Amino acid sequence: MSNNEKLLEIKNLHTGFDIEGKTYHAVKDVSFDVKSKEVVCVVGESGCGKSVMSLSIMDLLPKHNGKIDKGQILFQGKDLVPLNTKEMNSIRGKDISMIFQEPMTALNPVLTIGFQMDEVLINHTKLKIEDIRKKSISLLKQVGISRGEQIVHEYPHQLSGGMRQRVVIAMAIACQPKLLIADEPTTALDVTVQAQILELIQNIQEEVGMAVLMITHDLGVVAEMADRVVVMYAGQVVEESDVDRIFYNPQHPYTKALLNSIPRLEEEQEELNTIKGIVPSLKNMPLEGCRFVDRCPEAMPECKKITPRLGETEEGHSVRCILYDASRPKSEGEVRL
Amino acid sequence: MTANNNQNAEALKKSAKKQSPWAIARRKLLRNKLAMISISFLVLVTILSFLAPYIAPFDPFRVDITNRNAMPSGTHWLGTDNSGRDIVSLLLYGGRTSLTIGFVSMMAVVLIGTTVGSIAGFYGGWVDAVLMRFTDFVMNFPFLVFVIVLASIFRDAGIWALIIVISLLGWTGAARVVRSKTMSEKENEYVMAAISIGGTPFKIIRKHLLPNVMTTIIVQATLLLAVMIVAETALSFLGFGVPSGTPSWGNMLQEARQPHVIRSMWWIWIPPAFAITFTILSINFIGEGIKDAFNPKSVR
Repeated sequence: MSNNEKLLEIKNLHTGFDIEGKTYHAVKDVSFDVKSKEVVCVVGESGCGKSVMSLSIMDLLPKHNGKIDKGQILFQGKDLVPLNTKEMNSIRGKDISMIFQEPMTALNPVLTIGFQMDEVLINHTKLKIEDIRKKSISLLKQVGISRGEQIVHEYPHQLSGGMRQRVVIAMAIACQPKLLIADEPTTALDVTVQAQILELIQNIQEEVGMAVLMITHDLGVVAEMADRVVVMYAGQVVEESDVDRIFYNPQHPYTKALLNSIPRLEEEQEELNTIKGIVPSLKNMPLEGCRFVDRCPEAMPECKKITPRLGETEEGHSVRCILYDASRPKSEGEVRL
Repeated sequence: MTANNNQNAEALKKSAKKQSPWAIARRKLLRNKLAMISISFLVLVTILSFLAPYIAPFDPFRVDITNRNAMPSGTHWLGTDNSGRDIVSLLLYGGRTSLTIGFVSMMAVVLIGTTVGSIAGFYGGWVDAVLMRFTDFVMNFPFLVFVIVLASIFRDAGIWALIIVISLLGWTGAARVVRSKTMSEKENEYVMAAISIGGTPFKIIRKHLLPNVMTTIIVQATLLLAVMIVAETALSFLGFGVPSGTPSWGNMLQEARQPHVIRSMWWIWIPPAFAITFTILSINFIGEGIKDAFNPKSVR
């Protein structure tokens, strides 16, 4: 695919939080891109910086201490990082929109569904108010809510979790965005509803022709949805490839460990496979060497000394691990990233 | 067909309305006997006070030297005061003054407090710091001294001087309450969701935060109404509130400063004292009732 098809390009993104006067990077040097009409899944454990990365794109970081330190977020070739609130507001909800994890809290409890849905269209279109209401009802139909005329007068507490998530999705697609960011859209839902919501997102993605950036820690979701997969660990991209190669030919030990921890029906196991330990906290992040070293089954002594870089082992497949030559620093001068 | 559809839509709208947080709170309030009695009492007092010019038996400004300090009788149901003015008429006209001061300054205080509080709470950071330090500054004014000085300077303006002065000094508590509620409310994901669909900060405060903070504001407003009426009464009692020519409940009580009135002329000070006490009490019961009605944990 050629370069001009890139819809979203994240380049060397560093997002940090100021804690007691020091800046700790929750996202450190993340680069990847999303092409138009493509579904990219970002996977990793809790605390890997996935959500912070997605909030960075939308400029929704907590104002008092979160900030983008370095790097670019190019959307259709335009850098979003230096934009002010007003310029961001003309993009948010129109060209890029977002689905949140908790449909229970993403809707305002004291306002009717219709009032909240109308707002997207009021913000971004010049339609008359009666037309806006009609559009809202038709959007609800599009996400599979048939009683739209009634639902617009109801309050969030009258709807089930799955219905609310459908409403949230309807709001997100109201202006036919080019990119939809879905931050764990199915985590708070029960399993039967999860499948329906995923299917809905997939159908709408095809209808609207938008790209989807899906944040998840559920590899089942990845297998179902993704065209390409970005594996994140401790604020860094550790592996990036298309979905088949991630599942059938994982290269980074972390990816292998993640895949290994999915229980398989055909094997009988006494215990579930896990990855020992936890993601190092922001304050305890190792300064040099690989960040996964303490939990890595394939760790070598030099892993603690050499900081690996994200290198392409083959066309369209990058890994950050010194087991692969592509990840070794090119010269001594580049040891520290 | 279209008419039918419209009718249908109306019906749907109506049935859905019953489930709104406001409707639920209203139903709870209607079941609260104490609050309903208080509301009826307050409404009655308000209506009587504002109808004073039509129902008062005498002109409250008419001084009748021959008939001073008269006991309650057939002509003067609650007697007359020191200057021979009819107590019933004074009570009605006084209620009008006291309630006007209470309602208007309550509105002003709520308006200022909500604006300052919601802006400070939503923006945080230096905006919050500046606004809150200003609030502390105003809060630290010695209220009584300040009101007495200002009210004496602008004495000619009548009750409006008093309203403006107590409003300008009284909003600090409301601002703090609204700020803290806004701060806890803005952490909710729906605020982030509202930003993510391109909402401007002003719109988010107005459309998303204020409806959620509204319950707190309403409760505050009720309690403030009581506070403002008490402030008027206290200042007038001291002789620095409503100009002495204008009847008000506080001004009526002023006469009770004389020992012989307290001792032997109960009809002069008991009626305004009771009017104040029961009005304040009913307002506070209403406030409690509203607070209860909006509390999802209460079952009443």
